[in-house]
Amino acid sequence: MHEFDWSSIPNALPFLWDGMKISLEITVTAVIFGIVWGTLLALMRLSPVKPLSWFAAGYVNLFRAIPLVMVLLWFFLIVPHLLESIFGFPRGSDMRLSSAIAGFALFEAAYYSEIIRAGIQSVPKGQMGAASALGMTYGQAMRLVVLPQAFRNMVPLLLTQGIILFQDTSLVYVSALADFFGAAYKVGDRDGRLVELLLFAGAVYFVICFTASRIVRHYQNKLKVA
Amino acid sequence: MISMNKVSKHYGSFQVLADCTTQVHKGEVIVVCGPSGSGKSTLIKCVNGLEPFQSGEIIVNGVSVGDPKTNLSKLRSTVGMVFQNFELFPHMSIIDNLGIAQVKVLGRTQDQAREKGFKLLDRVGLRAQAEKYPGQLSGGQQQRVAIARALAMDPICMLFDEPTSALDPEMVNEVLDVMTELAQEGMTMMCVTHEMGFAKRVASRVIFMDQGRIVEDDSKDAFFDHARSERAQQFLAKILHH
Repeated sequence: MHEFDWSSIPNALPFLWDGMKISLEITVTAVIFGIVWGTLLALMRLSPVKPLSWFAAGYVNLFRAIPLVMVLLWFFLIVPHLLESIFGFPRGSDMRLSSAIAGFALFEAAYYSEIIRAGIQSVPKGQMGAASALGMTYGQAMRLVVLPQAFRNMVPLLLTQGIILFQDTSLVYVSALADFFGAAYKVGDRDGRLVELLLFAGAVYFVICFTASRIVRHYQNKLKVA
Repeated sequence: MISMNKVSKHYGSFQVLADCTTQVHKGEVIVVCGPSGSGKSTLIKCVNGLEPFQSGEIIVNGVSVGDPKTNLSKLRSTVGMVFQNFELFPHMSIIDNLGIAQVKVLGRTQDQAREKGFKLLDRVGLRAQAEKYPGQLSGGQQQRVAIARALAMDPICMLFDEPTSALDPEMVNEVLDVMTELAQEGMTMMCVTHEMGFAKRVASRVIFMDQGRIVEDDSKDAFFDHARSERAQQFLAKILHH
């Protein structure tokens, strides 16, 4: 029977907190870039200009058909070398964090763009007609009338996707980056207390994600009433 | 002011509009009626280019709608349009609904736009609702706001696409009253509507459509007293009985 020994956790807290900061940094940056790029992809997908629409459809289908962990590995293994050779970065500079963020952002954008496309399509078509009839250009009508309504409807889904993304950040362990999960693993490995540390990490992920989805649910209910 | 010449439109093999030709002069009020699916709404949506058409020509105030070189947004900013489902912007207050296009399209200042907005809300009797949101207003109030929103752009003519069809019966008149007033002030109007009382009161001419064709295009007296086509007679007999 395994004897639990939690004593290595208190001393490791600062290190774990550093890991959590990396996890949060990846999550927040990837959510922001994912939403921006995802919005552009959604607009391209809905565009009457066929090549744009094909590009966006191809992009989304490609990324949705590849496991995230593979995308991360490719970015970890290939992209830094590319950047080194293109921009002349010093060899061996640490680009694990930036390549992880880039990988997440590009991957999540595919999912975000589908959410955003559905959001745009949920706005009645007459709204675009009314905005156009007032003399707004397509861009103005999108920006001032359609997208604000679309995003309002989508907030819960976007946040939920953000929570999933936060959980998925644990996959960066493949690039030996010390995010929260990676940090917990390292400490556990060092002290021979892997089980305790992973249970602890799981509990932390659970508390954060559960709280966050409760907040989203609360917001969603408020939105329904309004 | 508006001139249509042999306008045709089809979806695949389905003919929506066939050789529609008519003129609307300044100050005229044209009522467009006909059975559902006859192409009335499509016809007036072609006037400001919301619906594309394949052949023929529409000239609005000297500008050709179908010409790819035409700046459609600019043209539309001079033609007011009111929709069956109001289409107010639900995420903006009433006064912002009236102001947004004045600021973003006409380049007026926020203050000018608000002042104009308040003046028009006064006119449709809704000044007190200025800071509310569309969802808080009744259908009739929303449609009056929509008319005010279109008027805020100082349009040279107004298009109405079944403005009272989505309203509860007791709200129809408040909207028709605003439209009647507009007509009496000399606004050029094209109205798709089944409100024959309104047509009898203010129309200069009545256009009757069936299966994408303009079947009758006559003064209202001629239309109501002795419609020439059998189809129009049947239509009138059906809707005037009640």
